[in-house]
This record gives sequence, structure tokens and C-alpha cells, in this order.
Amino acid sequence: MGKIEWAMWANEQALAAGLIYATGGIVGVAGQFRGWQFAAFGIAAGVFVCLLEYPRSKRGKGTSVERTGQYCFTVCVNAFGPLTRNYYVRAFLHAALCVPGGFMLATVLGCVCLGIASLIYLSAAIHGEHWEPILPRTEPPKRVGDSIKEPPQNPPPRPPPELRRKKADKLETAAYDNPMSVTVNE
Amino acid sequence: MCRSLLTFLRGSQRVTGRRVRRLLDKSKTFHVACGVTICIFSVVHVSAHLVNMVSFSVRYSEDFPGLNVAQYRGQVTHTDTHMDIFFPGVTGVLLVLVLFLMFTASSYCIRVSSYEIFWYTHNLFIVFYVILMVHVAGGALKYQSNVETHPPGCVQNNLSSWTNHRAAGEKGTESSGAPQTVCQEEARFQPHFPQTWLWVSAPLCLYCAERFYRFIRSSAAPVTIVSVISHPCSVVELRMLKSGFKPHPGQVSPCPTGKNQTFGIHLRVLGDWTLWKCVFLPTCNISNLTVCCAFSSHPRVHVDGPFGSPSEEVFNYEVSLCVAGGIGVTPFACVLQALFDDWRQYKLKRLYFVWVCRDLQSFYWFADLLCGLHERLWRDNRPDYLNVQLYLSNTQGLQSISEERYRFLSSRLRIGRPKWKLIFQEIGRANQLKRVGVFCCGPKGISKALHTLCNSNPHTETAFEYNKESFS
Repeated sequence: MGKIEWAMWANEQALAAGLIYATGGIVGVAGQFRGWQFAAFGIAAGVFVCLLEYPRSKRGKGTSVERTGQYCFTVCVNAFGPLTRNYYVRAFLHAALCVPGGFMLATVLGCVCLGIASLIYLSAAIHGEHWEPILPRTEPPKRVGDSIKEPPQNPPPRPPPELRRKKADKLETAAYDNPMSVTVNE
Repeated sequence: MCRSLLTFLRGSQRVTGRRVRRLLDKSKTFHVACGVTICIFSVVHVSAHLVNMVSFSVRYSEDFPGLNVAQYRGQVTHTDTHMDIFFPGVTGVLLVLVLFLMFTASSYCIRVSSYEIFWYTHNLFIVFYVILMVHVAGGALKYQSNVETHPPGCVQNNLSSWTNHRAAGEKGTESSGAPQTVCQEEARFQPHFPQTWLWVSAPLCLYCAERFYRFIRSSAAPVTIVSVISHPCSVVELRMLKSGFKPHPGQVSPCPTGKNQTFGIHLRVLGDWTLWKCVFLPTCNISNLTVCCAFSSHPRVHVDGPFGSPSEEVFNYEVSLCVAGGIGVTPFACVLQALFDDWRQYKLKRLYFVWVCRDLQSFYWFADLLCGLHERLWRDNRPDYLNVQLYLSNTQGLQSISEERYRFLSSRLRIGRPKWKLIFQEIGRANQLKRVGVFCCGPKGISKALHTLCNSNPHTETAFEYNKESFS
């Protein structure tokens, strides 16, 4: 199969699972089902998971495609350092968040989906992957070379004097002086 | 996704016109639209069922116990027992799970990075369809089967008058003046007849038949790899032989012709699948263009297809513009090969070929073909048939094609990115009152730029029609 990037798939799954969790929670709270407190927790957990999973990680090799507007999320997630970079932490966090959803029918789907995402994150962590932020590359500004500050010491090379002759009748419009006198029809 | 069927419809010229063929090219977009619609409506469906559960529990009917799905009134909202998961929809949950797996693996970046995840999860569709057909068998929705013997508003003759009054009072004001009929029997309820399988099974059978046909066709005749040629910039050309394989130009490059029955494909070695293949294929020595020893042992290759593609339409326009980006030149290489064999038999009168590459060495993949075609057309006194422009987008350093035999190409090589507006203006001025077919096979940026330019075309005399080729 080759080298599969499990983390990328787990990221998509966790994002979708967060949305499902939050939607199930909203329906549970709105319908005032029994155990709507679990649904309220589901909304909070779903939103948190969405925010955590929105910024995509940089790929191991190949071009990484950002999600629209993910830069501010990248900065926030990156600020937590090893807590968010390590996929073992993410796997256990998702597993812990999904458990309360199993107690209520509206959120049980979110629970199962988040559980699957957590398992795939575990697989990614076992394969040694970790989260890398996609930060814009700050290229050093194109600096003009230092030699521009030193004007040339010597004049540019010119052809030898024999070739620098110009016609005698056009002496007044000549751009430079003839070092040797010229005569017509030479 | 029934590609053989679509190819058949596309190929039969008498049956479909050009507009219908262009519509058939959008089959993948249609498939994606269907998938997204299924997901959205699944969300609505699940939410509605959850709300429905509340209704079943709140409006538990003691009069008509056969109608209820809940087991007692207030089952859903009351809490006496701690965990009473009331679960009629196991099939529904399984369906949503399968849909979740399929949907999350089909995003663009997963397809680009690891296609196998997408492919294997998408093949769960068969599980989805089977469960969908039994989903309705739960029978939550019911209708009354004996309306004649128990019409609405009838009164029971063995119940007390108080119950009758209550029943009459519930019906509202209209029934107060109506004659009270007597119920002859108890109301009976039956679940609705499941109709999903009627809608779903016909397309499913069609798709299964198509897959079976493709499997038989691809495994009937074995494919032998005749030769492997390695080109610069990590491109490998595989020439293969398969009996009974008849692709059209635009599908493989080069095509089998009367003289040469082999067909070939060009592969760019990028991911680990192609790399693994290259390890197995022996090459004599890696130089710029080396013809390698033929071999017929592992790995086994099955060829599925040929499938129609928009690039076949190049010959159906009088003037065509083909834009290729990097390795995307391969569909057009076959077009050029077909023109080389016999350019007179096609409707095409003029071809503009723009090829944008990042590396100078990439132009050597088809340099011989381009120069050969140019020479052939020059000899046949049609020098204006083929107009080639090569662009090198990597502007570092001094680059040029120095070989004498490729002088045709070196004089048409430009450094920098192409300016599409100018190219379109030039083509528009030279081909007024004509319809120009624009074909693009390359990165998304180029494709989008060309598409907008074709549609917002300021040249009212020339019509540019965009035909999109899509991969992955």
C-alpha cells in the first residue's frame, strides 16, 4: 500500500465527527430529551473538536493544501506546543470526549464517529506522525547586491582607436573626440 | 460512474450531439453533487427522526395501541431508569456510519495524497445500498388498512357515552353536525410497503452489470509489456500489447495504429506506487532515452478501458486550442500521433498547441513527434495547420534547446508563463466567425483561467468552447 498519511484522514474524520456531535447535541437540547445535559456537553465538545481539527497539518512530503482561513487557527493550535503536536494526546482526548455522547441517542452517532477518528489518530501516532503547522514561508527580501554601492573604477572597454574614427564631415555632431585626425575618404 | 456505458453513449455519433457529449463529460461532477445531496438530506432525515421520537412518546395513544412506536407515554423524556436506550434504528445508524466513512475519505487532499484510502472506503457503497434496502423494513410509519369499516369519526358501540363524547369532541367542530356512524371493527394499522428498493435496485443492477463486464473484458485478454522507456524528468513510458484493445486518440499515447499494434502510457514517477513499479521494471542503463529490454514477467498488468474523454473532441472542431501543463501533454500526444498518420481525414483544419513546462528536459518527451509532424505538414504544403508555442515557466538561468534537429522547437520556446489573453486575441483575430474548441489538461490554475476567459470572451465573432479534462 505504500506510505499512507493516516493523520490526514483522521483529521477529516474528526472534523466531520465534531460537526455531527454538535448537530446531535443541538437536536438533543432543542427537543429537551432525557439526558439533554449530555447533549449540551456534546455541543461544547463538538465545537471544540472542530476548532482543534480545522487547521490542517503540513504533509510529510508533497504540497499541503490549506483550508480557507486556517492561519489564525494554526497560530492558536501551535501555541499549545506538544499537547497538540502529539497524536497520542489527540487520540486519547477524542476518546475521552466521545464517551459522554454514548449515553444519549441524539449524540450517539457523534460518539461513534469521533471514536473511529480517535482510533485512526492512534494509528497515525503509532506510525510516528505528528502535527506540523503550515506557516507562510517568509522569504528573505530580494536584496540588491552590495556591489551597487561601489561605482566602477574603470571606464567600460572601448574599441581600439583605429576603429573609433568618424567621418570628417560630421565632426560637429560627434559624441566624442577623435584621438587621431581623420580625413575624408580614408 | 458507469464508464463503459457513458463511453458507448459518447461514441455513438448518431445518437448524441455535441452538446449531449459535453454534458456526459460532467458525469463525475454529477456524481459528487449526488453524494453531497445524500449527505445533506441524511442529516435532515436523522434530525427529523429524533424529533419524531419525541412526538411518538408525547402523543402516545391509548385508543389505538397498534399505532405506537414508543412503549409507553413519555418514554423519551421521563427518566426513571438510568439508561433506557430506545433503539429502533440500527440500520439507520449503520447507514450514517458508512456514509461518514465514505464522505470523509473523498475530499480532494485525501485523493491526492493516498488514493487507496479513498478507493477502499468508497467500495463500501455496496454495504450502504444493501442496508438502505432493508432500512424501511422496520415499519415505523403506518397507515390504516380498514378505512371503510372504521371511518374517521365513527363511534364505538360498546364504549360508554362519555368516551364517545370525548372522541366526538376531539374531532373539532365539523363533526358535531355530522351523523355518527358506528364502527364495525377496530382500527387496524399496517406499515407502509417499502418502496426504496424499487428506486435503488435498478441503477444498482446496472452498475453491477457494468463492473462485471469490465472485469471480464480486462481479464480476458492478457496484457504484455513490450518495452519500457525511461525519459528525462522521471517519466517512464510503458508500451503494451493487448489483443482487441481499440482506443481512440486522446485516450492513450501513442495509440495503436495499423502499423504498430502496441499502445503506450507515460507515467510520471511521483508517489510510491509508481516508484515501486519502476523498481520492478529493469532498465539497461538510465540515460536520457534508452530503450529497455522487453520482459513479460511480474508485475501483472490489467488494462481497464478504453473510456471516452473530452480530448476526443479535438477532431470535431475546425479550429482547436490544446493547452498542456507538464505531464498533461499525454492526451494530446496521441492526437498529434493520429494527425501524423493521416491528418486529412479529420474535420480539424488548424491546431494551436500550447505546452507549459517547468523543466526544459520535459520538452524532450515528445520533441521527435512534434518535429516529425511539423515536417510532414510542411511537405504536404499545410504549414499553418499546426501552431506550437512552448513555455518554460522556470525563468532561472539561460535555457534553450540546442540540438539541430529540434530547431523547430527551439525557435518556438518562450521563457515565462503564457499570457492567455494575448493568445486568445491572436487566435480570435485569425479565425473569425469560427467556433474554437479549447482543451486543457494541466494544473487547476491554468484550467480555471482558461475557463473564465472562454466564457467571458470579448471577441464576439469567435466562439471559444471549453472542454474540461478531469483526473483523480
